[in-house]
Amino acid sequence: MHFAYPPRKSSNPPPFRPRTSALPTIRGKRLKTIVLTGLAFLTLLWLFQRSGRSRHAPPAYHKPSGNPPVVIVTVFNEGKYGKGYLDMVKENRLKYAEKHAYLPSSPPDAGYGTFFVKSSDYDLHGAPVSWATLPAVRHAMTKFPDASYIWYLDQNAFIMNPLLKIEEHVMKPSRLEELMIKDHPVVPPDSIIKTFSHLKGHDVDFVLTQDKDGLSSSSFVVKNGEWAKFFLETWFDPIYRTYNFQKAEQHALEHIVQWHPTILAKLALVPQRILNSYSKEKGGQEYKEGDLAVRLYACGEAGEDTCETESQRFAQWKAAFQDS
Amino acid sequence: MSLSRSPSPVPGGGWASPGLTNNLSPSGRSSPTKAYAGSNGTPVMWERQKNMGGAAYQSFSTQNQGFFSRHMRRISSSLPRFKADNTHGAEREKIGQGRWNMPRLGRIRGITGRMSRRTKMLLAFGLLFLLAYIIFYSTPLVYYYRRTSWLGGGQKFVIILAANVGGGVMEWKGAREWAIERDSIRNKKKYVAKWGYDLEIVDMSTKKRYAHEWRESWEKVDFIRSTLRKYPKAEWVWWLDLNTFIMEPSKSLQDHIFDHIEDVTYRDINEYNPLNISHPPADPYLDELSKSPIGDGNPNSIHLMLSQDCSGFNLGSFFMRRSTWTDHLLDVWWDPVAYEQKHMEWEHKEQDALEQLYTAQPWIRKSTAFLPQRMINSFPTGACSEKGNDPRIHYDQKDRDFLVNMAGCEWGRDCWGEMYNFRELSYHLNRSLWERFKEDLLCWIWFKLTGKKVKF
Repeated sequence: MHFAYPPRKSSNPPPFRPRTSALPTIRGKRLKTIVLTGLAFLTLLWLFQRSGRSRHAPPAYHKPSGNPPVVIVTVFNEGKYGKGYLDMVKENRLKYAEKHAYLPSSPPDAGYGTFFVKSSDYDLHGAPVSWATLPAVRHAMTKFPDASYIWYLDQNAFIMNPLLKIEEHVMKPSRLEELMIKDHPVVPPDSIIKTFSHLKGHDVDFVLTQDKDGLSSSSFVVKNGEWAKFFLETWFDPIYRTYNFQKAEQHALEHIVQWHPTILAKLALVPQRILNSYSKEKGGQEYKEGDLAVRLYACGEAGEDTCETESQRFAQWKAAFQDS
Repeated sequence: MSLSRSPSPVPGGGWASPGLTNNLSPSGRSSPTKAYAGSNGTPVMWERQKNMGGAAYQSFSTQNQGFFSRHMRRISSSLPRFKADNTHGAEREKIGQGRWNMPRLGRIRGITGRMSRRTKMLLAFGLLFLLAYIIFYSTPLVYYYRRTSWLGGGQKFVIILAANVGGGVMEWKGAREWAIERDSIRNKKKYVAKWGYDLEIVDMSTKKRYAHEWRESWEKVDFIRSTLRKYPKAEWVWWLDLNTFIMEPSKSLQDHIFDHIEDVTYRDINEYNPLNISHPPADPYLDELSKSPIGDGNPNSIHLMLSQDCSGFNLGSFFMRRSTWTDHLLDVWWDPVAYEQKHMEWEHKEQDALEQLYTAQPWIRKSTAFLPQRMINSFPTGACSEKGNDPRIHYDQKDRDFLVNMAGCEWGRDCWGEMYNFRELSYHLNRSLWERFKEDLLCWIWFKLTGKKVKF
């Protein structure tokens, strides 16, 4: 250590050094700000990249647009009944559908749809023929994906009143709320499972009636949608067919409605004469003038008139459909 | 007054600073008194100030007086200070440690005082980064914010662990069963704590409610329903049997499956069809969507994800999403008519019931997807091994399969042995860097040197 102190500074300050580059350099403080902002931005990006990854778009199942509003489904049992009779039944449906074709403010095609199938069209694996109801309704849903409601009406039944519209007479939410039979045993007389008391009209996807013995599957309405597909496919499970219920799909329906609350939750019972008047008092409520449809109860069975004879009693539908 | 030579280290031997003398006298004086006076007999500066009440000057001059004179203040302030109270024995030891408190702070203050602004900023930033790393990656706090929806979404997942199988009702639950349960539960708890999921441990003891004709073995359905109700924020529920072990806990479910569902699942069962179910359903009355082999192809319509083993569906590890479809499935899964006809045939109860539902009802196929078995449900070599080791089914260490399901270990295999082995294997495969360093390098070196195997 030769010198105690550093050499003395000269009185002339060193000249100002010129810039090394032509571009303006980022000086200390500004550089720090930029780097910090960049890091903060990257941190935010990293933090939020996780939430960006979840896609929550629910699958959009096709919502029926309402064209046609109602499809009437009937299954014909060609093996058992004469052609003339079956043609008459078909005509009844077609006339009814036509009746609702040209309403004052609706487009020309806004009539009801009809769907006719033969019970032999479906392979029931040896089960009773009445099971064909279910694939028929399911088939109608496939054929008419935009229909709002599917109305199944038994072959031995006639639509009597052309003026009543299903979507207003039965399925309108406010109408359902007044018609619904609440807190009633689903299978008379004494099932402990009762219909819901607080169902909203728009939540109902399945409307049917009870007769004196139990639930009647001869005339019911389902709302087209995912629930209906689930319901029909569940009802049509081969396990119910192999169980050999006494009354085939009717008893199976009573069974699933009591054991599966997700089905009961969408079910509404309406008074029988709304959809399903019977031709005889002994089966259920009897037909009165002005009812929508009549079912020829127990026609063709032992000790009863044949269906053709029975249908003569209600031949006034032809006249009713003749007038506007 | 200048000191001609540096004073000897004798108590009271000349230093003017009181902290440099030892007070070993038991007389218990707690305040500095004239006993601390320097060798010249004069009291220290502040004592003098107290006594004289006036401005006092240092008794010695510091200019050009040598190293110690000039730097004394700085050195003396960093030397240990003596606490002037009277203590004995163990307390003195403690105080001895405590002696370092104040000076350490002073030292830190001294060090940081000498640092430039820039160094301070860098140091602060580095410490902050380290703190962030610790908070975000290693503390138990990770549980809380990996749950939030914007940082991982862990609260959407609930793991249901079926514990206490049998409950000791039909068979004795001995030490092995307890040990298996402990390991399985601990493994799931750690996983859940790491990733912020919920864990629901359900009791699968033999109950009358699930006895013959009363939904026998259908507990899964009821537990899933009650779990979905208990965790309202949960979207996905993962059912796990007890004899399972999560082998790779560093993989979150989101990374493993849910961030890319469409890539890992397949909907067309024909890709792997041990049951030979005819797919797609060919009934003429079905709509296009039901007849399509992959449903609508939209990952958001998948509500059930499961895997198949060599003999059909395997419900040891499967996922279900909260949705109306799931409500419907959980409702129709058990039916007394089905049970009455089939319970003799259905060895695996609800598993076989699901297979029947899948075969007969097309709406179920629309929302069911399958995962490759080794993704969530690898089997150990004992299970499904009629045809030897199947790369589709059996656990492979090289691929680091996610979960092992020791299915059927109660029938002829050693459940505890398998659980123990998989647990140790999992620990071995997932060692931290430090453990790897110790075991792979240090132990290896020691072995080479001495021929002895040790474990640090």
